[in-house]
Amino acid sequence: MSAGLRVAMDIGGTFTDLVAYDPATGTYQTGKVATTPGRLQVGVVRGLTELVDDLATLGFLVHGTTAGLNAFLERKGARVALVTTEGFRDVYEIARGNRPEMYNVRYRKPKPLVPRRDVYEVPERLRYDGTVLRPLRPEDLRPLVAALRAGGYEAVAICLLHAHVNPVHEQLVRDVIRRELPGLTISCSHEVAREWREYERTSTTVINAYIAPIVSRYLGALEEELRARGLREPLYIMRSNGGIMTADVAREQPIQTLLSGPVGGAVGTALIGRILDRANLIGVDMGGTSFDVTLVIGGQVDVTNEASLEGFPILSPMVNIHTIGAGGGSLAWVEAGGLRVGPQSAGAEPGPACYGRGGTEPTVTDANAVLGRLDPERFLGGRMSLDVPAAREAVGRLAARLGLGVEEAAEGILAVVNHKMADAIRTLTVRKGIDPREFALVAFGGAGPMHAAWIAEALEIDTIIVPNFPGAFSAWGMLQTDIRHDAVRTYLRAVNQVDPAEAEGLYREMEGELAGILARQHVAGADMVFIRTVDMRYVGQEYLLNLPLSPAGDRIGPDDVAALVAAFHERHRSVYGHASERTPVEIVNLRVTGVGRIAPPPPAPRAGSAEGAPAPRQVRPVVFGGRSHPTPVYERDTLQPGHRFTGPAIVTELTTTTVIPPGWSASVDGFGHLILSARGV
Amino acid sequence: MASISPVTVEIIRNALQSAAEEMNASLFRSAFSPVIYEMKDCSVGLFDEQARILGQSAGLPIFLGNLEVCIQTAIEMYGLDWFRPGDVICMNDSYMTGTHLNDITVFSPVFHEGELVGFTANRAHWLDVGAKDPGMSTDTREIYQEGIRIGPTKIVDAGVPREDVIDLITRNSRFPVAARGDLNAQISACRTGERRFLAIIRRWGLDTVRAACAEIFAQSERLDREAIAAIPDGTYFAEGCLDNDGVSDDPVWVRVTVTVQGSDITIDLTGSSPQRPGATNCGLAQTISACRVAYKALINPDAPVTGGTFRPLRVTVPPGSIFAAEEPAATTWYFSHLGLLIDLVQKALAPAIPDRVAAAHYGDSMVVTFVGHDPERNAPFFNLEATVGGWGAFEGGDGQDALINSVNGDFRNLPVEVLETKYPILVRRYSLRPDSGGPGRFRGGTGAIREYELQADGALYLWWERSRCPAWGLMGGGDGSPPQVIVRNPREDGSWEEVRVLKANGLPLRRGAVVTCMTGGGGGYGHPFQREPARVREDVLDGYVSREAAARRYGVAIGPDGQIDEAETARLRAARG
Repeated sequence: MSAGLRVAMDIGGTFTDLVAYDPATGTYQTGKVATTPGRLQVGVVRGLTELVDDLATLGFLVHGTTAGLNAFLERKGARVALVTTEGFRDVYEIARGNRPEMYNVRYRKPKPLVPRRDVYEVPERLRYDGTVLRPLRPEDLRPLVAALRAGGYEAVAICLLHAHVNPVHEQLVRDVIRRELPGLTISCSHEVAREWREYERTSTTVINAYIAPIVSRYLGALEEELRARGLREPLYIMRSNGGIMTADVAREQPIQTLLSGPVGGAVGTALIGRILDRANLIGVDMGGTSFDVTLVIGGQVDVTNEASLEGFPILSPMVNIHTIGAGGGSLAWVEAGGLRVGPQSAGAEPGPACYGRGGTEPTVTDANAVLGRLDPERFLGGRMSLDVPAAREAVGRLAARLGLGVEEAAEGILAVVNHKMADAIRTLTVRKGIDPREFALVAFGGAGPMHAAWIAEALEIDTIIVPNFPGAFSAWGMLQTDIRHDAVRTYLRAVNQVDPAEAEGLYREMEGELAGILARQHVAGADMVFIRTVDMRYVGQEYLLNLPLSPAGDRIGPDDVAALVAAFHERHRSVYGHASERTPVEIVNLRVTGVGRIAPPPPAPRAGSAEGAPAPRQVRPVVFGGRSHPTPVYERDTLQPGHRFTGPAIVTELTTTTVIPPGWSASVDGFGHLILSARGV
Repeated sequence: MASISPVTVEIIRNALQSAAEEMNASLFRSAFSPVIYEMKDCSVGLFDEQARILGQSAGLPIFLGNLEVCIQTAIEMYGLDWFRPGDVICMNDSYMTGTHLNDITVFSPVFHEGELVGFTANRAHWLDVGAKDPGMSTDTREIYQEGIRIGPTKIVDAGVPREDVIDLITRNSRFPVAARGDLNAQISACRTGERRFLAIIRRWGLDTVRAACAEIFAQSERLDREAIAAIPDGTYFAEGCLDNDGVSDDPVWVRVTVTVQGSDITIDLTGSSPQRPGATNCGLAQTISACRVAYKALINPDAPVTGGTFRPLRVTVPPGSIFAAEEPAATTWYFSHLGLLIDLVQKALAPAIPDRVAAAHYGDSMVVTFVGHDPERNAPFFNLEATVGGWGAFEGGDGQDALINSVNGDFRNLPVEVLETKYPILVRRYSLRPDSGGPGRFRGGTGAIREYELQADGALYLWWERSRCPAWGLMGGGDGSPPQVIVRNPREDGSWEEVRVLKANGLPLRRGAVVTCMTGGGGGYGHPFQREPARVREDVLDGYVSREAAARRYGVAIGPDGQIDEAETARLRAARG
């Protein structure tokens, strides 16, 4: 790896953000270009070439792509054929048969990505232990091959019963199709998600197949363009699990690009943790329509093995992102005499009333404008001015219906939405036995730093970190990430029936696979780290707890089982409040995470030279707690390490406003972060 | 009461709902029995000191608002002074709780600074409570055959677990370890609710929380009354029947009269069957709960339930009927006639609000249970499953295919790979059942086929329903197909012995026996000849409807090339339209 410029590119719905770091000077540069839907690579390349003259000088290039996610969300993926075991054509469509909206007699399951007519059965069957009950012969596949040839498909998903135990029949189907129809992209369930539960595995494999050709085309076109312009280093792609991979690996594992864009915030939060030596952080990203929460626990991004997207389960490790409909555009409304906020949003059009684009309903942004917390003349760095009277009018109508004053209603709207966001954080923490008071908030996105203090108060959190470039935080986070791959084997055994040699064999097999993938991405053996974990539960339970194996000596030997079981009881107690020492415990899955350590060490702090408060750009009246306070407004650009001041205060920068209410103080650390502290704590 | 800011009310409203969901998450994630964590056969709630709902989260829709009655019963029996901080109370008596003995209700009082301020409660289905057969018998005649019966009983006394009482209760189960695990999960859910409730009180103050709750109730009531006022006044009637009660073969009648007057609704069940000798009976509490479900499906289905939600609803129940069972009535299958009741309320109101109701769904949980001894794992096995089926069509949409029945909500089926790993059962087929959906302008959903092959000797228990009264169509739509179960046992000479049954209590199955379970489809909506031929063609291409049925039921001719034969379609539709 050369010491050239390090660049990250993060595609959003409207803008593509770029951040460049020059290791020679320790300085950052940001760029922003309009996203070009349809041909995303055009915008990406434009942004990159605006920032960097000669791509040959790049030392590192990473990209968070939404190509796969957009294809999925907009249902513009490939035409997929699904191959199943005879008798099980409808597993995918029946799904789990559940009805999450229980009083809705018109509930509809998510529409399958593969219609029933494109599902094909093959005459084969394995037993639960992987032994062959009904053998499959190559000639049995002739009708399938003929149908696939005639059907005009772009991709095939293969998911046969018990293939996670023995993939022999899936491999046969794959090999025959590959030989007969070389143009088709093939996804096998045992390669995409080697876990039991046929519906979930099918769903995962289908999504993989559905986005595979789109991701492949996009990354192929992008990489070709970049190479033509002189790029020499690998193009790295963000993975849903919070690591990175090279573009050629991404084309083989498209499912892992699903959260490639959104995951940047979590990765950035983890990086803040490394820089500030803080183990526990909550990342909060509030934009126009949604509020995303991610956790960093013990220095690690919180990754879930049981994710779902729009009702489709995904058995593939993904950063645990909890999203609710709360943002600057969230609408405030009255129902049966009560105040409600969201989840409906005014969106980009017409947007909040204060945008002056025809919106008349009050939004969260209007409430902030009414209270004086947004600078009407310098919104979005002065690219847009706000119509505060329109905001007052919209909030005023709502206030009249509730019998409140205008400012009172505006603060009320913010209080409701702030508590909702705090509840969203509780969902990820308290519900799992995690105490949010042991965490600091990292606030970013356009609106995060404006609301963070109130969210923190509701959760009794006393520290908030507002990073540099909070509007391009995701891209910044991607700059220093390791390669990361996961593998899994279902291994259902009571703990006292574990065969240590067998378990060790499975771990070695997975590590061998992962080492191969890492080596292909130019990771030296010395930079490879393998983390073994195990999914456990009480016999009879469904839900799993994932435990690291390392305390038990990194093996499941006869002597280590007791330690592992003790750790399991302990974890169960902390998550659920009770444990049952007399109940037998079983192992369900063995997992390995392979990490290729390629990220450079984090930057060093600058010495704090400044003291006291900087000079405010202006002092203007802002409402807090029903009273108007003369409030200094600082420019983020003018803040230097060592500066400190107390609330009420406001800090403005290009795309973000930070609000420091009375009772909070702010300081600037040696990295330029704005640190908010609840006073007296 | 002091006036209170609408802002505070809304924050507290969200916090109470979030607390209930947290209790539910705690119960799901630590329960031992799949019936709870997979089938979500449970519910949780947070209540004020008068047992009014502050927040609830039901895993099972039919458990809507059936917990407060348990708390009220305990208060009536022992008085408020009986409760002490740290208590946990358990009960399951059917005539008090309304459901069957398998449903164990656990609740605890919440004290704030020495004052009783509310309750936190939950209910969960236990696999076994010591009935005459494992799991759920289909032929009981009185409650004494159905398991241990528990009135309000302290299992934790002022914070100290009463191990002797817990032992008594769990010892009566065939699966005491699971029972103990589930009970722990239920206690844990109560503690979660208590913690969150007290945190809310500490944050806002008791007076503010009480004032907010009064306003939350008033908002719920206003919201519902607005919706009811929009329904034309009138009296609406519908009737239907269950096949039988598992003991005699007489149908079990459910008759529903719904009266809408202004912003009030009355559901009157007069004319329904008297209490039956078989187990299709339930306590009054569960009937009220089912009427609330029927109400909720029509009135603001998305709004959270609070102590004000059901104020506009009156329920009239004939004493001594299947809806208000008295000792010693059997109650194991307490829900079959309740599911029918819920469908019938929709049917009754169809003339008044045709665009807000749906045709009937396949109707019942269609429970199939296999028991026996597994030689390969050298252990007894017990697998109980409910089966998905077709849902009713409605104005604007086809009925959903293969979805769990109305009383079961967020129930999830058991993955074949999990089932086969745990039990000596091979699943030969799990698929949709083509042509089972009622034809209509909007098509009824299709039922499902699940076919099992026993890998060991065992016995079959079945509780399948609604063959006499399959899912009806609305506004000219056709009925869905009735359910069917075919059992084939291998004889020693290699031939097969075949029986068709819908109810069975321990039917012996020999190794190799094949049980084919086919659930019914949903009712159609609107006349099938009004369905666009292009949509019928799509259904044929996807195999939901056969080519033959397209011609016969929809009057649409699809040629061998998969294209619509326009001339023949016109002829078919003219001939019979």
